Amino acid sequence: MPLTWTSKGNYQDMWVFCEQNNNQFVPCSIEMLGEARRLMDKYNKDYSADEKVVAVVFGYQIDALVQEAIERGADVVYSCDDRNLEHFLLEPYTKLIAKAAQGKDTYKSYDEPRYFLFPATNNGRDISATALAALDSGLASDSNLLYINDELIRHPVKTKRGDKVEEIVYPRILHMKRPDFSGFEWSTILCIDDEEKDFHPQACSVIPGSFKALERNSQRKGIRIPVSFGLVAKDLRTKIVKREALPKEADLTNKDVIVSLGRGIAKNPTQGIKLGLELAQVLNADVGISRGVVTAKYPVDPAYMQYIRDVRQVGETGQKVKPKVYIALGISGAIQHKKGMDKSKMIISVNADPNAPIKEFSDVFIEGDIFEVIPKLEAHLARALGGTK
Amino acid sequence: MVDCIVTVKGVPDFREGKVHFKEDNTLNRGETPTVLNPSDRIALMAALEIKVKHGGKVTVVSMGPLGYKTVLQEALEVYGDDAYLFSDRQMGGADTLATAYTLGMGMKKIGLPDIVISGFKTADGETGQTGPQTAWLLDYPIITHVISIEVDTGNRKVLARRLAGEDIEEIESPLPCYIITDPNFEASYRSATHRLRFLKLQEETRARAATIDSVFKAWNATELGLDPKKIGLKGSPTIVNKVEAIPTAPRERTAKVISGKDDQALAEVAKQIAQAIRG
Repeated sequence: MPLTWTSKGNYQDMWVFCEQNNNQFVPCSIEMLGEARRLMDKYNKDYSADEKVVAVVFGYQIDALVQEAIERGADVVYSCDDRNLEHFLLEPYTKLIAKAAQGKDTYKSYDEPRYFLFPATNNGRDISATALAALDSGLASDSNLLYINDELIRHPVKTKRGDKVEEIVYPRILHMKRPDFSGFEWSTILCIDDEEKDFHPQACSVIPGSFKALERNSQRKGIRIPVSFGLVAKDLRTKIVKREALPKEADLTNKDVIVSLGRGIAKNPTQGIKLGLELAQVLNADVGISRGVVTAKYPVDPAYMQYIRDVRQVGETGQKVKPKVYIALGISGAIQHKKGMDKSKMIISVNADPNAPIKEFSDVFIEGDIFEVIPKLEAHLARALGGTK
Repeated sequence: MVDCIVTVKGVPDFREGKVHFKEDNTLNRGETPTVLNPSDRIALMAALEIKVKHGGKVTVVSMGPLGYKTVLQEALEVYGDDAYLFSDRQMGGADTLATAYTLGMGMKKIGLPDIVISGFKTADGETGQTGPQTAWLLDYPIITHVISIEVDTGNRKVLARRLAGEDIEEIESPLPCYIITDPNFEASYRSATHRLRFLKLQEETRARAATIDSVFKAWNATELGLDPKKIGLKGSPTIVNKVEAIPTAPRERTAKVISGKDDQALAEVAKQIAQAIRG
């Protein structure tokens, strides 16, 4: 019989950091609340427990947000309403999270949260990292699938007892799955206590769009726990001097025709981009790229740098597009790419590998080297479109 | 004078033809060469911009096996006055928290700089956590997703522009501080003096990179005075329990397959595309 691990401290609940922008939750915040609700309902049933979904909401004049968090699945909301917190600021927000998570109050009598979720947005990722550094525990990033169960672990450090590595059952472990690399590998990350030290909360950031939010339900009840501000000048040493809306660069979501480039451009990235642009011009299309191109960071002629930046990425972690025609050039077709383009009406792919996964979700698959196929296709298209240009 | 430390990492070379997969579609790290993480190049460019404009020293640090000296060499080709590698078998298998502790302790031993700069995410781990965690452990103010930096040496301040989701923010922070560059960071050299200095520094650093030994030091855990409980596997709260290939998408459309050499078929596809666009 393997041993069963018991943590030394008392940990409860699933906490969710709900990021807001201009007093509206970013969509991932309410998606996480929905998923936390589902996970904890199942958890309470599986373990005959009564643990809660706890939302963390900071900002200025946030009563409506606190109410929305409850209507979207939270049982408890830790809130701090202060003019200094109107916009996201990493240091004070981190301090307040640590204060709420480690303190005791009218609601919380346990040591620290059992689980903690953050949005995998620019700000959410940053605060997941600093908050978990402050709480001295572990963090997975960019998860898109979560579940809780007992796990039999054998690990050279975590389950070493004396000189022997044991097999030990860790109960109630949050399994955090994340797509790695270009979307072909899936890692399951666990945050595990060892013999000397507990690592709680078990935390991760969550890719926006991974989970479904709950409809608002005004019947749901919850309690609000204010976190007293109590920050000193040093906590506010970074200041937002100016803030302006970012002009939306390369918005592909409303385009009729998109030409996307993948790693097939590798042998001559500059030329590959040039060909893609020429084809796009004939089609009056815009240019997208796969995550593979973002990751590879090809050396290209500076004039074409803008076409290999992450803002143009199509996929689960990039833009989700639905044009009339989507042309995938040298894109192998990881599932994470598919999630960004499979609502396109017509999908044409060009790939030298006859077994490229993208074939399974293309209407036309052109087998061939993109450097040879694009110019030919472009010539034919110029003729076919001649009348409408 | 503004002294900078830049953190860099060796990652598998993800360029097509270099990267090797195992049969189950997972990455074959043994067969894939290690190179400088592409985002770190941007962090080094930011440090070089500060050096061109304000003088000071740029120190490059990394954690990894001794073979990572070549990675530091690559970093010095972009820019660096000297380079340190924190290397010890005990550091192996570190997650972001253990890495942040090790990097932070290393920087303390070197001497804490005015600005620490990290790139956004490594191409392999892609967590984007190590920079913010290192900053937190050093108690440095942090500015992330930075696209441009101005240093006000007189008032010991930094003014940085950063991408905050749907907004651009201008952030003011006292020195010392920790900067994490966004992939969209751009250095700007408006004066001829700066451009000339840039070229001169670039030439010097390439010479240093070629003969790295005189500016290179490797320190192990003991030399760094690290707490063995906070490094490597032991200091890492997280474990990777399983790596599996993500199943490929089930067939949703039945593709008409044509050869790229079949001119007539390409003409037909062009017509279909034209029709789909009009329709």
